[in-house]
Amino acid sequence: MSIILGPPSMRLLRSLQHHQYLFCPVLSRSVTQGEYRRPGKPRDNKPPWQKINFSFSKGLDGIRKHLTLLKREFFERFVGPEGKPILEHMLEQNRVVWEFRGSESLKQWTVSSDREIGGQSEVYLKLGRNNTTCFLYGTLRSTPPRDGETRYSGYCSMRSKQPLAAFDRKKHHDWSSFNTLHLRVRGDGRPWMINIAAETYFSHQKDDIYNYFLYTRGGPYWQEVKIPFSKFFLTHRGRIQDDQHPLWLDKINTIGFTLGDKADGPFQLEIDYIGVSKDYAHTEEFAYELYKRNPNV
Amino acid sequence: MLRLIYSQSAEIQRANGEVVDAECAFAAKIIINERTTRACDSFCVSERERERERERHAPSSYCSCTMHCARCLLRVLGQSVYRAARPSLLRSPQHRQVLRRFRSNDTPAEFVGAETAVARDPFAAEHKNEASFAEALRAFAEADVRRRGHVEFIYAALKKMPEFGVERDLAVYNQLLDVFPKEVFVPRNFIQRMFNHYPRQQECAVQLLEQMENYGVMPNVETKVLLVRIFGDKGHPRLPEDPVDLARFSLKRIANDLDARVTVYQMARTDVSRSGEQTAAAPHIVGIQSPEQMGLLGEHDPDRPVLVEGPFPLWLRKTCVHYYVLRAEPAPPEERAEEPYDPERCFDYPLQLDLDLDRDLGDMDTLDVEDLDEGPVYAMCMTSQGDQATLNRWISGLQESNPILGRIPTLFRLRAAAPPRELPAESPTDESLGREAPPEEARRSAN
Repeated sequence: MSIILGPPSMRLLRSLQHHQYLFCPVLSRSVTQGEYRRPGKPRDNKPPWQKINFSFSKGLDGIRKHLTLLKREFFERFVGPEGKPILEHMLEQNRVVWEFRGSESLKQWTVSSDREIGGQSEVYLKLGRNNTTCFLYGTLRSTPPRDGETRYSGYCSMRSKQPLAAFDRKKHHDWSSFNTLHLRVRGDGRPWMINIAAETYFSHQKDDIYNYFLYTRGGPYWQEVKIPFSKFFLTHRGRIQDDQHPLWLDKINTIGFTLGDKADGPFQLEIDYIGVSKDYAHTEEFAYELYKRNPNV
Repeated sequence: MLRLIYSQSAEIQRANGEVVDAECAFAAKIIINERTTRACDSFCVSERERERERERHAPSSYCSCTMHCARCLLRVLGQSVYRAARPSLLRSPQHRQVLRRFRSNDTPAEFVGAETAVARDPFAAEHKNEASFAEALRAFAEADVRRRGHVEFIYAALKKMPEFGVERDLAVYNQLLDVFPKEVFVPRNFIQRMFNHYPRQQECAVQLLEQMENYGVMPNVETKVLLVRIFGDKGHPRLPEDPVDLARFSLKRIANDLDARVTVYQMARTDVSRSGEQTAAAPHIVGIQSPEQMGLLGEHDPDRPVLVEGPFPLWLRKTCVHYYVLRAEPAPPEERAEEPYDPERCFDYPLQLDLDLDRDLGDMDTLDVEDLDEGPVYAMCMTSQGDQATLNRWISGLQESNPILGRIPTLFRLRAAAPPRELPAESPTDESLGREAPPEEARRSAN
């Protein structure tokens, strides 16, 4: 899957260079910009203090929500790790992580398409039949936006939101006792790609994503897909990397599904649940070569 | 390899007017292009071999060397080759001179074994250039449509390239790739794709690319296009063009059961109307149903309706087809009766155990998720025109194998083929009761 992304990488390099020279943080544009700027859109030059907006009721709601989360977090430590008894945490073999059983479950997901960069694909997310599945549908259009920079286009994706603890602190999924991803989906024959983003340390690892394919069968029958985590390969901004390493499961941030198969037209994907499981019969650690392939001369 | 040479030699004997053997042609053409007599002198590995082979002059002569044996063949069948060669080859007087020289050589030939084969180069240095190389390739390609022996030819050519000075020339590599017969080696299914179904040709192409890499030659678009034409575009087969075949293929793909059988209920017909235009009078209808589905439909309660839903999209690579489904809603829990197991059905082991077993946490190997019951799917169909009349025709066709359909009311839930901006949640846009076949009307329940 080769999508766009030439200029953002150049911008990243430039901002990295700035990082190297600046020991005292200077709030210049090139350092603080990290988000993708859509080509053609004017730069947002407002200083940060002008971007805050106050709202009393929202503030109260927020305080209440965060204090509840904090209380829950405090007391669940006495039950066990992650709020589960220690025996259950150690011995569990299957865990359902996302189950689409009500409209609250849809709030944990974000959909996006290439409309953000000026393309014409559409994507929508709703609950499926009997409110028991999630239904991702839309239309894919691969005409690239006419901004002079983008060469390819046409993608739609659905990504889970990062789990947050009290006061919007980042929380991670800990799947270290599992080794397989288990999904039940019903697609329309299109090939999707599953992206797992793990927590990284360095800033240039920010767009490191581990990918694998999800080929849907189509038809009225559900499809159970089990993908071991050892099959996920590392990509950075959509480009497969030469130096591969296995996915570390102890701090997973998000999971996502992307469609970019260059076939214009409507698409749909129904997901029943997403879970992780431990397959004792799967002993592979990593499916790809680990030795250095392009040795430095 | 040897058998190939035997068969080739036999064919050379049989075929008149056609140079069949690859290396023969290669060597022959190069020789013929050469104007020097030195070419024909040093044509064979040694003088003595030549004489011996000429004397033998039999197709069953043994040859155990590998790449060079084609040249041995040329010696063995020396005169017959030239006789069998196309008239164009014998036109010029130099050829006759070559022949004459050949015949008049009196030194005996030795039998060639692999260990004694010495690759002495028969061609003069100043005549080896790109033009003659290209000429040789062209001669081989034109000699036989089937390109027999192309693998050996390409290996030999790859070896000869440095001597001709063309090893860094991309155009020459592309011409060499052009020697492969096209579209023959395209794998037809995923097993062929996975398991290297044409190993010799694929290995040969890989060697060619490896030599390119060795000399630092970058391939271009033409190389890629040639490789795609020879070995397939990622090895994926083409989708069938005929709509009935396409429907059959895709229905088999989405059916859950390998026993499912595809039935063509109606073939497409086009009528020519008065104004002379062709209108599709009846679209094709292709349906699929498995014996298990037939059994389930037989057990369906006639008081509950069955639904015909559609069209649902199905993508096969870049084409989108639409299918319709005949299904029923799941029965509400109170109506679901558990049939007690008949203990006399099986005497070997009890079918139902009343033990109170508890599973440990570490033994639970299914996900703790409620099972979605969406009701059974009884049949699927594909048709180009999804209106109610066509689907009625499908149901009538299904009724022939499932007579219970005559008694069950059928609901049609058809939505627009392209999903609109915001799909309404499950609201049927066109709901109506279906007609059953006329003979069953008397028994139709009041609806």
